[in-house]
Order: sequence, then C-alpha cells, then structure tokens
Amino acid sequence: MSKLNKDVSQKDVVQAVVVAEYFGNEFAPITNDTPLALLPLLNVPLIEYTLEFLSLGGIEETFLFCCSNVDTIKQHIKKSIEKSAGWSLTMQVRVIVSESCRSFGDCLRDLDAKGLIRSDFVLLEPGIVGNIKLLPILKKHVDICKADKGAAMTLVLQEAGVGQKGRCLYEELLLVATTNYRVLLHQKLGVSKKRKIEVPLEMIMDNSSVNIYHNLKDTHLAICSASVLPLFSDNFDFQTKDDFVRGLLMNEEILGSTIYWHRISGSEYAAAVTNWRMYQSISRDILHRWLYPLVPDMGISSQHRNYVHLQNNIYRSKDVHLTQNSSLIEDVIIGSGTSVADKTNVSRSIIGESVKIGKNVVIEDSYVFSNTVIKDHCDIKHSVIGHDCVIEPQCKITQACILGDGVKLHKKTVIENELIQSQKPKDELLTNKLNEKAYKLKIQNCSTEISDSEEDGLLSRKLLRLHIHEEDVPSDDESFKSTDSEDELSYTTSPVPDDTNLFLNEVIDSLARGFEDKLQCDNLILEINSSRYAYNVTVKEVNFNVVKAILTLPFQLFVGQAYLQSLRLLLVYFSPILTNYLRNVSAMGDCLQAIEEFASTNNELNECVAAVLNWFYDKDYLSEEVILDWFSSIDSNTRFYARVQPFTNWLQQAEEASSSGDE
Amino acid sequence: MAFKQEFQAVILAAGKGSRMHEITAGKPKCLLPIGNKPLVWYPIHKLQHIGFTDVILIIFENQKVEIQNALDKLGLLIKIEYVTVKNEDQGTADSLRSIHDKIHSDVLILSCDFVSDVNLGGILNLFRMHNASLCALLLNTPTNQVAVPGPKIKYKPERDLIGLDAQTNRLVFLASASDFESSVSLPKALIRKHTSITMHSNLIDSHVYVLKHWIIQYLQQESSISTIKGELLPHIIKKQLLKPTKVDYNVSTLNTSDKNDIFAFAKESDLDLRIRNASGFNDHYGDLKSSYHDDIIRCFAYIAEPEVFGIRVNNLPAYYNINLQIIDKWKKLSNEKELVRIDSSADIQSSQVDDKCIVWDSCKLSEKTSFKNSVLGSTCEVQKFSRIFNSVVMNNVTIEEKVALENCIVCNGAVIKSGSTIKNCIIGSQHLVPEESVHTNEILTVADRLMEL
Repeated sequence: MSKLNKDVSQKDVVQAVVVAEYFGNEFAPITNDTPLALLPLLNVPLIEYTLEFLSLGGIEETFLFCCSNVDTIKQHIKKSIEKSAGWSLTMQVRVIVSESCRSFGDCLRDLDAKGLIRSDFVLLEPGIVGNIKLLPILKKHVDICKADKGAAMTLVLQEAGVGQKGRCLYEELLLVATTNYRVLLHQKLGVSKKRKIEVPLEMIMDNSSVNIYHNLKDTHLAICSASVLPLFSDNFDFQTKDDFVRGLLMNEEILGSTIYWHRISGSEYAAAVTNWRMYQSISRDILHRWLYPLVPDMGISSQHRNYVHLQNNIYRSKDVHLTQNSSLIEDVIIGSGTSVADKTNVSRSIIGESVKIGKNVVIEDSYVFSNTVIKDHCDIKHSVIGHDCVIEPQCKITQACILGDGVKLHKKTVIENELIQSQKPKDELLTNKLNEKAYKLKIQNCSTEISDSEEDGLLSRKLLRLHIHEEDVPSDDESFKSTDSEDELSYTTSPVPDDTNLFLNEVIDSLARGFEDKLQCDNLILEINSSRYAYNVTVKEVNFNVVKAILTLPFQLFVGQAYLQSLRLLLVYFSPILTNYLRNVSAMGDCLQAIEEFASTNNELNECVAAVLNWFYDKDYLSEEVILDWFSSIDSNTRFYARVQPFTNWLQQAEEASSSGDE
Repeated sequence: MAFKQEFQAVILAAGKGSRMHEITAGKPKCLLPIGNKPLVWYPIHKLQHIGFTDVILIIFENQKVEIQNALDKLGLLIKIEYVTVKNEDQGTADSLRSIHDKIHSDVLILSCDFVSDVNLGGILNLFRMHNASLCALLLNTPTNQVAVPGPKIKYKPERDLIGLDAQTNRLVFLASASDFESSVSLPKALIRKHTSITMHSNLIDSHVYVLKHWIIQYLQQESSISTIKGELLPHIIKKQLLKPTKVDYNVSTLNTSDKNDIFAFAKESDLDLRIRNASGFNDHYGDLKSSYHDDIIRCFAYIAEPEVFGIRVNNLPAYYNINLQIIDKWKKLSNEKELVRIDSSADIQSSQVDDKCIVWDSCKLSEKTSFKNSVLGSTCEVQKFSRIFNSVVMNNVTIEEKVALENCIVCNGAVIKSGSTIKNCIIGSQHLVPEESVHTNEILTVADRLMEL
C-alpha cells in the first residue's frame, strides 16, 4: 500500500535510467583509467552530454547506474552540480551503485529489486548523446499502452540511409514492423555475409502490409513500460537490450508483450558511443552541429562559453596559442591552454586542453586528449592519444592507433594500428615493450612473416577501430559495401557469375578510381587485398586479374585514345602495384597468362603486345627465362605467336650476345 | 497512321476460366454475362473510353466465331483485331509472344476478366513519368462478399506478396504467397538498395500491365517464360537489381553475340541518359545514389485509390458478386452510359420485375412470375408462377412453371422442369433439372462434362 501512495504522490516525475557501465573492453586502453562515462567527447565528458540531453528532453529524475570507477563518477557528478551544470538545475541525478553486475541485464534486474521505478521510463544504454524531445515520445508510448496492454517498449530509431557514417557497421539493423509501428522482427545483421534475409511468411500474411526497413540506426534509447524490469528479472538470460527485444519478439505469445518503435528524423539526433568508429562519427556530427543546441560554442552543460566558432567548423578556445604559420584547416576543436607551434597543420581533429604541439606536426583525423605533449615533426593520423602522453620528435602514429593515458613514445617511434598503454600488462611478454611507458596491448603486426590468416585478422581489425578518412583509403568499408552489393546484385542472374569475375570487376573499379583520384598505390593494394579476401580468390588469380585489370583500363579511362600510349601511362602509375604482386616466377607466369588471354580477345593489345612485353621486361617485372619458357608453350599457328615472336627473337639474340660477351 | 501510337492495347481473352469451370464449360469465359454485357465488353469499353482506337484481342481459335458474333452486336466503335491461339495450354506470355510482330510500341495489357472503374490514365501516366519498363495496376481487396451458390466451401483467395519501395512505389518484389512455406527470403542487396519496403499481402494484381516494347522482344528470346504474372513479371522485377556489365566493349565481340542478356534489350537512349544526368530530379532520398539508382530496368506499381472499384472476374464468388452489384456500379463502370436494363425485344408479361433486374434480348417472361435482383440472358423463357431471386440466368434457359430459384447461377441452355425449388445452386449448361426436384448448395451438372475439364 505504501507503494501505491508513493505512486500517487510522485506521479508526474519523468524518470530515466542511464546504465553508465560499458561491459566490454572496446575502449581499452583508454578506459583502463577513465570510465566510459568520463571519456572526453570534444573535450567534455560523455556523461555530460547524456545528462544534458535528458534534462533538455524533459526528464526530471535520472538514475545513473554504475558498477566500476564509482568514486570517480560520483565525484564528477558532484563537481558538476557544484558548478551548477545546466542539467543540475532541472533534473535530479541519483547514482546507483552495484558492483556485482556483470551485464546490462544484471543492472536492470538489480534496479527491479531496488523498486525505484514507478512508471514508464526512458532507458539509456551507455554513451548516448542526443537532442531529442523525449516527452512527446513518452506520450506516444502511453497512448500505445492504452491501446495495447502488452506494449513493453518503444524503441527509438533514427533514420539513416545506407552508407551514412553514423550507422554502426556492427549494428546494421533490419526492422520489420506493421504500419502502426509494432515491431515484428528486429535483427542486427552485423557484418554477416549472409546474402538472404528470411522473413517469416505468417508475419506478412497476418498483416495486410508490413514495412521492411533498412534505413534506420539504433539510438540505443528506449521508452519502457514499468513491465520491462520484471521481464528482465523473469528472464535471467537477457543480457542486453537486444536480447530483451529478441526474446520478447520470439515469445510474443508466451510473454504477452509487444514492442513498438518510433522514428526520429530531421533535426533530431541521437546515437551511442559503442566503439571507436561511433566515437569518431559522433565527434564529427557534433562538430557539424547535428546535436544543436549541444555544440561546443554554446557550452555543454556549463555556464561558460569557452569556444568560439570560426569558419570551416573550427572551434577555438580563447586562450589558445597559435603561431602565425600554423594552420587549423577544417573541423577542428582546440581546447583552452593549448599551444600550437610553427608550420603545424591540424585538420579534422580534436585537441584537448593544455596540449603542447611542436613545430612541423601534422595531425589529421585524430583525437588528442588533455595535457599531452607532441613534439616537433610528428605525424599523427587516424589515432587517439590519451591524457598526459608525451610524444617525442619525429614519431609517426597512424592507422587507428590508440594510446592510453600517460604513454611516452621515444624519438622516431613509428607505430601503426596498435593499442599502447603506459603500464606493463600483467601477463604479456616483454617483446611488446616499446619503453618503460609504452607497452603494446595486443600482438599485432609484430611478426615479420604474416601468414594469410593473420593478415586477414589485421585487415578486419583495421576496419574495426577507426573509420579511415575517405581521401586516404576510400575503400575501407565502402569497398566492402560495394563488393557486397555488387555480388549480391548479380545474385539474381541466371548464370551466377563466379567470385573471380566479380573480383576482377572490383579490381578494375578500384584501379580506375585510384587512377582518376590519384590515390596512392599502397592504399590500392590494401583495397585489392581486402577484395581478395571478400571473394576468396587465390594468389594466382589475384596476380592474373590485377594484370588483366590494368590491361582493361585504357578502354575505360581513355576512350578513343591510342591504346599503347594510355596503357603505358597506367603501367607507370601502377608500377608499385605490379612490384607488389609480381614477386616470383609463378607470378610472372600469371602475368604472362593474363597478357596472353587478354590479347587473344582484344585486337588493340594484340597489335602492340611486343611493346608491352618489352616494357614488363625492361622494368624487371618479367624475367627472360619466364618469357621464353612461356613463349615455347604458345600455339605457333596463332596471330598472337607471330606478334610475340620478334620480341622473343630479340631476347634470344640479346641473351646469346651477352653470354658470348661473357666469354 | 501518321503518328506512331504511344501504346497498343492487348486484351488477353484466351483463358478457360479454370477457376470457375462449373459455369464456363462449353462457353467462352469472356462471354459470361455481367449485367447486360458479356465480360469482355468491360475492358474493351474501358479502352475505348480512354481513347484507344485499336485493340488486339487474343482468343481461342475455336471460339472465334462465337466471340466475334457476340461482340459485333455490341456496337463498339473501337477496331478489334482478333488473334487466335490454337493451343489450349498456352500461357499468357506465350500469347504475347505470338503477337510480337504486331506490336510496334509500348503495350497496355488487360485481361478480359477485368471489371473496374479505375482510370487507366493513372497507370499510363506513372509509366510515362518514370519512363518505366513495366507498370502494374494493383487493386485493394473488395470488402463485401456474399454467400456463393454451390457447395459451401470456404473460398480462399489466392494471395500475392507484393513489395513496393515505400518512397518511390518501385515494384521490387512479386511472388505468390503459395510459393513460400514458412519464410520469405529477400536478397540482402534488395534491402540495401530499397531501404524501406512495404510488403503487401492483400493487394490484388489486376493483371493490367504496361510494358515497354523491348520486353516483348526480350520475351522472344526467353522462350522458357510462359506466363506473364507467374514468370515474366518476377523475372523482370528481379532484373532490376542487375547492373549492365560495364566492360561491355572490352569483351570480344565473338563472345557477346551468342547470348544477349537483358541489357541488350533494355537500353536507355543516349538522350534519356543525358536528360537524367542533367536533371536535378531524384526519385528517392536517404543515400547519395543518383535517381533510380541508375537502373535502366524500372518496374512500378500503381495502387488504385481506395474508393476505386475493381475486381477480376475469374472465380465464382467474383462472378456472382459482380452480377448482384452491377446495377449500382454500372454508372461508374460504363462511364455514364445509359444502362439498358430491359431489352426492347424482351416480352415481359410479368408485373413483378424489380428495378434491379436485367433482362436480355428476346426473353420471354410469362405473367404471374416474380423477379428480384436477377439477370436473365437472351432468349430465356420463364413460365407462369415461377420466381427468381438473386440469380444469374444465362442464355437460352427454359424455366417451367412453379419454379423457385434463389441465389443460383443457371448456365446456357439449362432446362428447369416445373415445380422445382432450387437454392444456392449452380446449374451447368445444357443440364436438365427434373420435375419437382429440391436442391440446396449443390452443383447440378452433367457429370461427364465436368470430367473432361
């Protein structure tokens, strides 16, 4: 009865539950020292965004559920309230501690046991930022509940087209729902390579029409009825919200609960920092002001407006020391007390407070947290550098390196795609030690001989952590997408084209784009390799197809121009690629085979095949023996034979001449 | 003709009516009476009304004379070209293939059993607007269904699964629900391309299609396709996901010549391409793809407005229902044409013929008979003291004295002897119902006639 009274007295308080604990080590080594809630996002702790969003959204009471680093978070909240942060004025925040919880589900079960939640509430997974008005959605949920007693949850999903950066690749969502927003099927496709999607027939037949959506992203935000918590308690195997949704939909009859969804679009935005890629895309979105009014120059949850918003999306704190020759190019936020020395370029990056950056430094697409020192001539791209790090001169940190707090790197250290932390890991080998203040967290890339499987892992890992900027490696996940779509598009053709063919098309596309946009060949190699794994073709086929692709390109890029001329241009441009693939005798054989095959179907090449072979020979891609060996196997009645013969004759003569010269 | 026609119209009337064989035995399906007109009149009239001057009518060879005679009587202005098919098992696509030399432009295909007040301008404009390869007209399911004569069987309509892109109304999926057992599998590429698909399960495919000319040519090559709905449409719809191979010109000419893929037919003219590229128009949003995703093959669906009436008279309930409703719907169906309810040559002595009855030519209705909401075909004879309620009586039927007929369909040439009471029955053609017989919910027909079907 006492509970009932409470209900009546506090009926109108709108509540939210924030689970602040991220169960996983996605953000290691940064989260070794800082809890995810305090991870700086544009130099403001993540939790401030969440709380500010909730209070602006109309929430009056928030339960902050913590499992570890409790004191740090408590202190932070206390400090924020003292500083009278924006949210503290209208919203009460209560920190709930339960150190025994091991999953999201545990937290909710614990919450159920505590009996703090009285009515509908907003449930937030860790790391959410947003600017949605929550009250209308809550109201809608209440209306739905009136019509459907079993309605347990309203998922909040944001419209996001295929290819949008804000879509987390691991959470590619497929949603099947009725026209009145009842969810029938909720599937996270992830990166699965499955080509078909199964939708139960009865789902379609029972409703006059259903909608199948693939243009949504999960905001990790949900409106819950009070029945959600008991449901979590009853089903102790629900570990995450996705488990919950799946379980409810599967056992709809048994549990008698239904799930609805709400679409947000237009200027409303919400997303969750679930991995570095999302961290990256959310940072960018905030810089691009999608989260308005939560933008740096408005002061996020603080009364002070620290930043000024300048042209090209540059946010600069007032006491930043910039020299005249240094330049902030675009999408940069730079915290107070930071100094940037001469001839240093910073673009698409976030620089924390009191960071010292030396001369001639290049920082691109990177995140540098507070109090770090970066000395002269460093090169930092696509990386995250924690608090209090010291990077000595001429270091090169690229390709999704994550440096934990307090790491010190010696002069001229080059790291690529590594996780570095300052403390010595407990059970790791000494070989991973760079110095006393830098230990590699995982063995990657260290072995000189990379076997195929490891390389595969490495590539996928690269895809995993940070989204490398388009201008650098355009393919990164785009190529995966295009390969995906392309081979699936052709899936419906009557003769299913084999993977090798698709691979060839892929390579042609990559190279064509590479040439047109003048991309670096190293990146193209990376792209070709990733295509190779996607289509599972052998090394032989790779060599063969790469050569064939280059031979094909003149028709695509230089329509109507002399074949040989344009081919030569391409060959010169792509020579690093050729060097990479034509490494041994068998590769040369593949190359010759490609030339032979292409020439047999193509007149242009046939006419100038001798010149092409000569080029390959001159540049040492093909050795004499291999050519002669191959030549002896050609049918001597073909025109092709006749074309090649002069060249081989010359070769033989040259050989004889040289051997006689030796004597 | 000075101008090339934009569309040619084709009516497929070489159907056997296998879904209502009880009443189509020995009679062309397209001549079944609906109100005071044969079934095929409705689509022909529709075409005539929107301005077609020619139509190709595909019929069975052995029914040609009968159909031609019947249509000549109707006084249609449109020029009908009769094309006959011999083989009874020929599919709709086969029929279409057989007339390919008569087709010189895009085609509008109608089925002879299409009765609707929909404005065909809608689908034609949709076709024009998107320069579509294929457009299909979809109808909402009619709601009111009355009890059907014959044995009480639960009538299960055939249902289609029709997937439409919610933004653009692109037709992206079409299959019959009976093709699936427990789940429908969609290619991932499809949902990545059309990120918001509405899957309908109770729309009715009206079998009104607008096809680009090249599809007819393509059909010529793909000889394995025999039906439009079952094979051609799903085939073309699937091909939308395909892209033409870019490296066309690199492949040796020897290789390409033997097998023409669909893109050898579906070509976008250079002008169209330039217009599309130059135009700021985009049919969809949500990704950065150009309009129509650069597809050359584009299928669209036109869903008729909810208030539109339309059915396919290809089964008993539909046939029976349309006849009961015809007076109400007539005005719209015929575009304000006057309904000749009672033919001038009919000899009506009865005083109890309500205003929902339709009487064809040379009918003889004796005195002291009663008629309600019924259709009486030509040269029927109804003798004294009989009453006919809610029934369809076809041609040359003789109904003797004191017969009570309720909710029945009586086929050509049947004779019902005096004193019979028949309710909810179907009486096959040429059937003779003996005196004083009482039947309810039965199919009365000469048994071997049914067998031969």
